[in-house]
Amino acid sequence: MFDRIFGEYLCTNGHLTREKLDRIFENENRDFNRLGVIAVSEKLMTVEQTEEVNHKQTGSDRRFGDIAIEMGYLTQTQLDSLLKLQGNSFFHFLQAAIDLGYFNLEQLDELTGQFQEDSGLSHSEMDALVSGDVMRVVNVYLPHQDRLYGRLCGIAVRTFLRLIDSRAYIERAFLTGNFDTERFACQRSYGTHSILSGFAGNGDSLMSMAESFAADKFEAVDLDALDSVAEFINCIDGLFSTEIYSEGVDVDMTPPMLYDRPVTLTGPQFCVVPIVTQGNRIFFVMSLDSAIMVKEKG
Amino acid sequence: MANVLIVDDSRTSRRILRGIIEGMGHTVCGEAVNGEEGVRLYEELRPELVTMDITMPVMDGLTSMQKIHEIDRAAKVVMVTAVGQRNKVVECIKEGASDYVTKPYEVSDVEKVIEKVLSKE
Repeated sequence: MFDRIFGEYLCTNGHLTREKLDRIFENENRDFNRLGVIAVSEKLMTVEQTEEVNHKQTGSDRRFGDIAIEMGYLTQTQLDSLLKLQGNSFFHFLQAAIDLGYFNLEQLDELTGQFQEDSGLSHSEMDALVSGDVMRVVNVYLPHQDRLYGRLCGIAVRTFLRLIDSRAYIERAFLTGNFDTERFACQRSYGTHSILSGFAGNGDSLMSMAESFAADKFEAVDLDALDSVAEFINCIDGLFSTEIYSEGVDVDMTPPMLYDRPVTLTGPQFCVVPIVTQGNRIFFVMSLDSAIMVKEKG
Repeated sequence: MANVLIVDDSRTSRRILRGIIEGMGHTVCGEAVNGEEGVRLYEELRPELVTMDITMPVMDGLTSMQKIHEIDRAAKVVMVTAVGQRNKVVECIKEGASDYVTKPYEVSDVEKVIEKVLSKE
């Protein structure tokens, strides 16, 4: 997911055009990445050191990692950790950007640092983003580290990537007591905890989600389309309740609620997670043990 | 081939189930959007199999299944549940459900369960 987030950052800040970004995504090589790119991004080697290793590698059949260890630039443990990252989508992105000639390794290293600074992220948060582990990425973007919020959101995003859009990404989530939306589908669960989870969106932004899940076409984000969104929420809630059930937390899901007209969500405090999918921004809304109300407008 | 009644408040879920059931060569003889309508249609249509969502408005799946069994003790009811409603599923099986399938649907799993339940005497 971080390849999408970083790509969007480069576009928004004028480092890359939308066309070039699309070309990078099209060219992301799903084979293994070059170790040098990962080593620099992980701050284990400098650009100069990778060039030195590459130079030594020319004309020999020895591997990059073996040479880097021999030259004292990497330890075996560091090499092992780099090898584990070879299938990572962020490094596919960097590799494609270099192969297409849009950036060199040094520029990308600098831009990654700039992203970290602009986003106000710590080194461990950057590590979490780069890791590609959805649960860790989600925790970076949540406004606080509540364990249950993190797990519900992690399951929602993971399931979204699996069943709806593997190219979706999230933005920084926020806590609020008031949220307006034109369309909303949600489900409440009661028991050890009182939970509401739902998806909100304006205009037709929920359409691609509804169509992906139902494998069907809809003319508008009407009650039929929202029914599909609600079925997806039902899957998320089911997975979440399974996970917490094993820890003695028991909740009962209730029938979903659909709103095809503008509503205001109000409550002491609930969490809203923006998700960008197919060019649209939609919102995953979650509330735990907070009396969230849904009021139709006008 | 069998006549099947689908009881589910979700249009999406009904449509997907209908596709799987008809793909197996069975007939969907009716669709109900809540447990109460499910009981009424069962009495009227007497299908060989009912797929019954657990979480529904008006009357839930467990109550609807119990009422169907009051009409016909041998009625075959397959519960439909989101992954995770484990306690509900256990309760339904104890109360006489033939089996259950989970959402999101895996076509082969649904087919297996329907065939297994229909082949039972």
